[in-house]
Amino acid sequence: MAAELCAHCRLPLGRLPFRQRLHGEPRTFCCYGCALAFQVGRGVPEQADAAWQLIRLGLGAFLAMNIMVLSLLLYSGSLGDGDAWLRQVVHLLLLALATPTVLILGLPFLRQAWHAARQGQVAVDTLVSLGVGTAYGYSSWATLTGAEHVYFDTATMVLMLFTLGRYLEAAGRARAMRDLEPLLAPERTPVRVLEDQAEHMRPAAQVAAGARVRVLPGERMPVDGVVLEGASSVDESLMTGEAWPVAKTAGSLVLAGSINGAGTLLLATTAAGNGTQWAAIGRAVAESLRCRSPGQQLADRIAGPFVAGVILLAVAALLYWSVRVPFEQALLTALAVLVVACPCALGLATPLATSLGLGLALRRGALVRSGAAFERLASARVVAFDKTGTLTSGAAHLFCSEGLEGVSTEQVLSMSAALERASEHVLAGPVLAAVGRTKGSAPVATDVQAAPGGGISGRLGSERLAIGTETYLQTLGWQLPETLAARAAVLAAQGCSVSYVAWGDRVKGLLAFVDPLRDEAQEVVECLRRMGLHTVLLSGDRSEVVAAVAAKLGIESWRGECGPQDKQAALQALRQTRGAVAMVGDGLNDGPVLAAADVGVALGSASDLARQAAEIVLPAGGLGKLPWLFGLSRAVRRTIVGNHCRAWGYNLVALALAASGLLQPVIAAALMAGSSVLVVLSSLRRQRFDWAQQTAIGRTTVPPLPRAAQELSESKYRPMAQR
Amino acid sequence: MVEYLLIALAGFAGSFHCIGMCGGFACALGSDPRGRQATLLRHLLYNTGRVSTYVFLGALAGVLGTALIHHGAPALPMATGQRALSVAAGALMLLMGMQLWGYFTPLRGSAGGMLGNGLVGALRRLRTAPGPAAPLALGVANGFLPCPLVYAFLAKAAASAAVAPAVLTMLCFGLGTFPAMLLTGSVGRLLAPVWRQRGVRLAGGFLLALGALTVARGLLPLDGHLGH
Repeated sequence: MAAELCAHCRLPLGRLPFRQRLHGEPRTFCCYGCALAFQVGRGVPEQADAAWQLIRLGLGAFLAMNIMVLSLLLYSGSLGDGDAWLRQVVHLLLLALATPTVLILGLPFLRQAWHAARQGQVAVDTLVSLGVGTAYGYSSWATLTGAEHVYFDTATMVLMLFTLGRYLEAAGRARAMRDLEPLLAPERTPVRVLEDQAEHMRPAAQVAAGARVRVLPGERMPVDGVVLEGASSVDESLMTGEAWPVAKTAGSLVLAGSINGAGTLLLATTAAGNGTQWAAIGRAVAESLRCRSPGQQLADRIAGPFVAGVILLAVAALLYWSVRVPFEQALLTALAVLVVACPCALGLATPLATSLGLGLALRRGALVRSGAAFERLASARVVAFDKTGTLTSGAAHLFCSEGLEGVSTEQVLSMSAALERASEHVLAGPVLAAVGRTKGSAPVATDVQAAPGGGISGRLGSERLAIGTETYLQTLGWQLPETLAARAAVLAAQGCSVSYVAWGDRVKGLLAFVDPLRDEAQEVVECLRRMGLHTVLLSGDRSEVVAAVAAKLGIESWRGECGPQDKQAALQALRQTRGAVAMVGDGLNDGPVLAAADVGVALGSASDLARQAAEIVLPAGGLGKLPWLFGLSRAVRRTIVGNHCRAWGYNLVALALAASGLLQPVIAAALMAGSSVLVVLSSLRRQRFDWAQQTAIGRTTVPPLPRAAQELSESKYRPMAQR
Repeated sequence: MVEYLLIALAGFAGSFHCIGMCGGFACALGSDPRGRQATLLRHLLYNTGRVSTYVFLGALAGVLGTALIHHGAPALPMATGQRALSVAAGALMLLMGMQLWGYFTPLRGSAGGMLGNGLVGALRRLRTAPGPAAPLALGVANGFLPCPLVYAFLAKAAASAAVAPAVLTMLCFGLGTFPAMLLTGSVGRLLAPVWRQRGVRLAGGFLLALGALTVARGLLPLDGHLGH
């Protein structure tokens, strides 16, 4: 279920949004508080309606305070002590002060209550309107009939406290979500475009490819581009997972979303401002915030009956007390019940914590596509890994190639190359790179067919040829000679993946590939196990290879030689025996498998978000962030559970106290206003301190490799990796 | 009566302190283009808003003081409770007085916090807002700004343990600050720093005297002979 976002605090709108036309534009807010805070915070001060909100508050406060002072003097017996005539005058004065106050402060609440009533619903505003209306109406009647007690102070103070509470809550929410703001609207980021020797600020969406753009130190790149002038080091961790700043000089490519270091850069844009991956991520984040998780939908459904229940409780308290104490006291008790209830705290328990979590994850480069995915990640019991490209670098290289007796290594290689040239098979890169070094001729196979997880086959002239697993070649009618099988077993025990090459009448050779494990893989697995997760390795590779990798990384169980269907079956089995499963893999090739898991985590495929099946996307080098993300999801869940406990606890205790007549309505309103502000503040504080602490335990520290050494170790095979 | 006069005088002297913080807002309110009378009205409204906040806080302090004495320590006889409250309030006033003289300054920063920041933001917007109600709203918000003088007199108001004297205390203090603030705002010029410094010291002196008086009322056997 998707919803719009509030124009002020960027949280999903509740079931009764507050609509208002501001500066000629229609705006939608989640509540009156946000509408108020939006105009105070962002309205142009010269504009009358923005200033009017603050003046309304100030004027209301002035009147309400004077009413309170007069009433307190009256209660303490300093005014009109025993003098009925003087008391009557003060009552009339209070009526004169209270009427504009109720009008000024109460109309927005009344408007929302009316709006809800027309949809056949009740909202918090209904409670406030009912309570304040009753107190004001009763007091006016009491004044005109000359009764002894009036409650104008209650009516106006409750309104004042509610307005103030709404305002502070909305301001707090917006403050909490402030860090998320630039991520939500990358297209609106102002860009310094150089045109006609002058610099113009323009939103990124209006910047076309080929424009000249200046980026100052510390700024986020608003566009993709090529450096024309200047040098700087750029933090690309959000986009690529690369933990170290990357040096950029004239001619280097820069990605939108990365953060500029100490130098000023002049760029020529290579894509339109709204066509970048960064803009796509922004749209995905906004989408993920709009998705309401099941817990949130439940809270929304509860709100209506809850408010109705509060009204019933207030009526019950009125009836119960009116036969036992003076009617006025019973009325005050019912009033306290109406204003002490805080369904907002229930509604706010989930979305704020979830949105803050999503924002924090994104700032570390992890895109979580919905709050529900977060919830499922937190409840996962099993982590299943794909091997190639996930735990390994994915940049396999040819370890060796061997032929049967009478078949040369070069022959094996050139036959393989002929087949791989015509395909996009995973092993094409390393094979072609190896052939490039041996300078073979360049025949290309025809009729090439690929069997995912098996291999590829085709035709070279009149001859059939194929590369693949033993079973794949068997299905095509080729038998595996003993000598090759024995050799393959030796290579597999060394951690090589072996593919057989067949042409003519038999299988004539093999190719052995090595795919080095990622540096951080072992630490990640170790961390996840310490967090109580069962680790599993599922791979299409030969069982010997998979076993060797699992043993090296300390993964508890493994399964080799499984295709996509086998993986899905394995996930199903794991779910039944151990509970919810998180699958970590490569988003594009493992799409169906990731979708079959309770929650799928894709590495390195953020480039094609639209085709992405996984709900959580990490950048290519982002494996090390996995334990941190698990920790964060659990911390967010703890905060949500805590918020719910506090909200329910508060409402039950406060309603019980109010119904038993122990709370003054003004105190009740102060409690209610304070409690909703507290929910916001506690989420904010938790995010700053607790989450940071709790997730620090699960964070792996990737040992810093000197940049030069890293380049040296990768350079040999780099062309293959980046084919 | 003498005591209320002292409070008003302290307010007057203290308003030289106010000029430092609140005077900026009063000046920013500036003059009305429609002439002297309109300007005067604006500043009257602003100061009325400010004083009404003080009075409101005073009433609350009175209620709090009453509640503390009647419910806070039911085991103690009422007079003992009132004395304890007097001593505590007097001590707070002495502390604030010392602060105005330049001691214990680290205390000053802790008082403001987030609420203060939000208030200042609101104040900034309000002072440029049009309409006659804006100066009043500005004054109301201004009154809630953290200020050692206000705290000191709120403590005194609470120590009176009744609503009426508490309201009177804050009203006298507020009225005491009226002339200097009105003058600053309308004339649109700040007093020379030397004079402000002298005013602050004078206010500190008054606070010390009133604080000592309040403490003494809590400690001396003859209740009610001082000041009343």
